Amino acid sequence: MKKIIATLMILLCVAGGAMAQDELSFERKQAIDSLALEKVRDLSKYIKIVGSKDTPFSEANRVIDRAEELFMSDAEIGVSSIHSNQITFYRVRKYMEHLMRLNYDRVEIEWYNIEYVSDLQRQPDGTYVGVITIFQTFRGYDQEGNLVYKDTTKKDITVYVRRKETQIGGRTIGFWDVLLGDMRVKETTDR
Amino acid sequence: MPYICNLLEDSKFIEKSKSINIAMKTKVTSIIMILLAVFITLGGTTSCKSKKRLAKEAAEAEYKSKVEQAVKDLNAILDDETLWTLEEKEARVQTIKDWNLQNAEVDDLLIQVEKKLARERAQKEEEERRAAEERERANATDVVLGRNFNSIANAGSVSQANRVINETLGMFESPNVPVLIIIKQNAGFNDYDRPTTIEKYLNYVKDQKKATEKVHDVKYNANGKINELELIKK
Repeated sequence: MKKIIATLMILLCVAGGAMAQDELSFERKQAIDSLALEKVRDLSKYIKIVGSKDTPFSEANRVIDRAEELFMSDAEIGVSSIHSNQITFYRVRKYMEHLMRLNYDRVEIEWYNIEYVSDLQRQPDGTYVGVITIFQTFRGYDQEGNLVYKDTTKKDITVYVRRKETQIGGRTIGFWDVLLGDMRVKETTDR
Repeated sequence: MPYICNLLEDSKFIEKSKSINIAMKTKVTSIIMILLAVFITLGGTTSCKSKKRLAKEAAEAEYKSKVEQAVKDLNAILDDETLWTLEEKEARVQTIKDWNLQNAEVDDLLIQVEKKLARERAQKEEEERRAAEERERANATDVVLGRNFNSIANAGSVSQANRVINETLGMFESPNVPVLIIIKQNAGFNDYDRPTTIEKYLNYVKDQKKATEKVHDVKYNANGKINELELIKK
């Protein structure tokens, strides 16, 4: 009986140790939380640049490439309008190109209240998955500078954080790869 | 009467015997004393000679041991079979020289080892000089890169930012030089963001209008161009 208990204790210790190895310290977890939030903020800046009519075409195209790199390859972005209940989904590049060609003379896009609605949680495959919510205010102006369209959309973005490795200068570098998944429209108002 | 005569003769005989006995004893004592003195003298001389011999033997053994140790150590230094630092090797050579062994084999080895250590010393000094230069250059690079990152982030226009980007790219081996960004350091362990390239990073600073990283480590190629950059979140 004693032997069985001792064996169980050893097994528990080993399993506990393995689990502890998988668990990130509070500080490291905080660092990847911040990293994922930063990627979403980066995206907001890219959307603003691409949407701006002042951005040179070459710059906008370069920024689209950078924005695309933030997402998973099959990610889609939901687009809504106050004039319709329909939500259209675009692949990231298509969405950006669509944004670049919007028929306004001037566009203002602001993202705010960027925060986690669901903290990054470790999945069985080791990926951390969370959901970040953002509020986007879109304003479109005509040639005379009149505001012709305005909406505020609440969007949820799924974020995936994976531990990966790469070789640089003969060294193996372990890094956190943050990728954004689908961006879903939660609600759209004309405020 | 003959009896008396005999007695007298006996008494004379006894007296004579006594005096002979005393003389004999005195002689024997003297002989013993002389013998003792001879023995002591001889014994003392022998003991001194033995001590000197022992001391000589000990000195010879010590010399032999030192020669063997010197040959062993010098050969080990020559064949790079020691874990000693250059300073420890130099100290060892000095100790062997101080022994002044006057041994042809040791002297020959000393010449070879001293030449070898002189080469190692020169090499070490050259490495230290280069490392100091690299540190100096890295410090200068830190300052220049930090200033340029801020200039790009705060540029008044895209063209102004692009001008600084091009100027900065000139410091690098190529626009594809890898840039690593440390997001967190924990007990000597670094957590990195996804690696990027210097061109993408500089454009990132321009797009995001922020320079939130500072130089952590810089590597150069033989032409003094940066071929790897490690940044860390401020």
